Amino acid sequence: MTTTGFSPLLIARLLTKPSAVFQQLADSRPPAAEVFFKLAIWLGLLPPVFAYLGASRFGWNLGAIEPLFLPSPVLAGISFAYFLTLLFGFVTTALVSQWMATTYGARHSLGIHFAMITVVGAPLAVGSVIHLYPHVFLNVVVLVPALIWSMFLLYRGLPIVLRINPQRGMLMASALIAYLLVAAVSLLGLTVMLWGLGIGPRVGI
Amino acid sequence: MAAATEGHYHDRVVTVLVVFAMVWALVGLAAGVYVAAELVWPGLDLGQPWLSFGRLRTFHTNMVIFGFGVPALIATAFYSVQRTSHVPLFMPGLAWFVCIAWQVAILLGGASLLAGMTTSKEYAELEWPFDIAIAVVWVSFAIVFFGTIAMRKVKQIYVSNWFYGALIIVVAMLHIVNNLAIPVTPTKSYSLYAGAQDALVQWWYGHNAVGFLLTGGFLGMLYYFLPKQADRPIWSYRLSIIAFWAFTYSYIWAGPHHLHYNAVPEWVQSLGVVMSLILLAPSWATMINGIMTVSGAWEKLRTDPALKFIVLALAFYGLATFEGPMMSIRSVNLVSHFTDWTIGHVHSGALGWNALITFGTFYFLVPRLVGAELYSRKLANLHFWLALAGIMLYLLAMWAAGVSQGLLWLSLDELGELRFSFTDIMASMAPYYMLRLLAGVIFLAGAVLMAVNLFFTIAGRATIRVRPPLAAEPASG
Repeated sequence: MTTTGFSPLLIARLLTKPSAVFQQLADSRPPAAEVFFKLAIWLGLLPPVFAYLGASRFGWNLGAIEPLFLPSPVLAGISFAYFLTLLFGFVTTALVSQWMATTYGARHSLGIHFAMITVVGAPLAVGSVIHLYPHVFLNVVVLVPALIWSMFLLYRGLPIVLRINPQRGMLMASALIAYLLVAAVSLLGLTVMLWGLGIGPRVGI
Repeated sequence: MAAATEGHYHDRVVTVLVVFAMVWALVGLAAGVYVAAELVWPGLDLGQPWLSFGRLRTFHTNMVIFGFGVPALIATAFYSVQRTSHVPLFMPGLAWFVCIAWQVAILLGGASLLAGMTTSKEYAELEWPFDIAIAVVWVSFAIVFFGTIAMRKVKQIYVSNWFYGALIIVVAMLHIVNNLAIPVTPTKSYSLYAGAQDALVQWWYGHNAVGFLLTGGFLGMLYYFLPKQADRPIWSYRLSIIAFWAFTYSYIWAGPHHLHYNAVPEWVQSLGVVMSLILLAPSWATMINGIMTVSGAWEKLRTDPALKFIVLALAFYGLATFEGPMMSIRSVNLVSHFTDWTIGHVHSGALGWNALITFGTFYFLVPRLVGAELYSRKLANLHFWLALAGIMLYLLAMWAAGVSQGLLWLSLDELGELRFSFTDIMASMAPYYMLRLLAGVIFLAGAVLMAVNLFFTIAGRATIRVRPPLAAEPASG
């Protein structure tokens, strides 16, 4: 059992040999700090940076005639909030996963849950390159396959990485999906509440 | 009825109801796919009034809720009430009347909607002759169900029967009060209520139809079939009873959240919000109860594809029951109301919760009704992934479309005028509607696989005859 070996190369291998990546994680015991600072935080930076660059250059195209431009400071603020939200989502999902581990008889170390959530979220982080051209529909079209790949990785990888049988893995993955769905819709709700408070685009409320 | 109680359970009526539910599911889902296609290509109505969006959309909702959902609930209520009461159905002839009369009402009611007969009240569009017929059938359902419970040989009334009982009583009350009307001709009536009162009564009905039919009724299904599938008792029986009473008390007040920023008193709107938020507690208590029950039954997943559907149904139940209260908050509703976000929310509940739990229950129930193995586990597993993919794609398309609509409708230009016209915004939604159409086709394809699977499971087989236990045993057994 190794304690290191968690590198960005893992992400590249996810596309070609996901099972090998899962097995490698199953055989390792990565420290939480190593996973977080070597990989997770950098992956988390990709979407807000791409979103900032794309929105400042092209504006957000919601499908109507004119793209929506926001002043640079506002855009920077929103991008930073996006980054913090992703980090919050990452850490809480890993903690929820660790909390569920007791119920489903899975490995308990925080590092392995950090590693698993990083791997599962990687396709979405890489797919966020489409934020460079912030057209909502185009983003949906690219991020939906990325999401399907993420869900495949979750259902396939969770039992291997956390060393539980596939049936318990299926139950735990579904419980995590429930949490993630609620988190996603909370983010939508929070966003529109902020619009109502005057933070974000100018709306007639 | 003493002689009848010594006979077999009346399960043939259950089999017939399941078959009808599947037929109406395919009809209703196909109609949904067609109206989704009409939103991309409006010319698909071919100039025919009966194919127009307004009529076909209503046909779709009525077929899936009352054609698919209600027969599934009646079937599972008949099946489970016998086994939790240890007696055959009370008045089996009346049970057959309920089964057949309901299908006739759905067939003729569906045709009347396509012909343009409508009260224009959402989810209560059927005109007054159908309303009376439905009330008669529903009261018959109540007599069979409560009659069986009255004859039970088990002291305790198991929790699934509380939920089915609430479904029967509350839906009867809602249906009768909301449909009070003055008939003008055999095909047209006008509501007894006017203006804001009409709106309040309508959404008291509409929201509680969601509450007690699409939530409470299906919770009855969950509380009976989940422990049966998991082969273990419910995780916390006490929690299920607490959740029942909290659910029943708080749901009934939440309807006014459908009328935010309308001509109803603000305190009524606020009451709707508060009760909607409180509702989260019993909803999630049930979700936790379900997840904890199934968490110890993982070995069942090896052999039983049905349990997967129920696990996923619980996840979407958790989502829908969180999203609903959140959308009832006025500052969220300000953006989400009148957008496709609402459509996405409804379908996370209808497809993710109602359809999946019914699919899982039917995969469990049908082989047991006919005493055979499921025709194909592979097809059932494929159905599971198609259903998941269809629902996720549907939700994402509608979330993106809805939030975009909300933002665009409220966007102001430099002069403080609305920046975009309604038609421009709707025209820009076509790509999302295309995605939603694809999602609907995927979900429908899964349902077709299920119908084929169940058809070959049932074909050529008679419903097996099961006797009640001789001695008193635990009610949930």
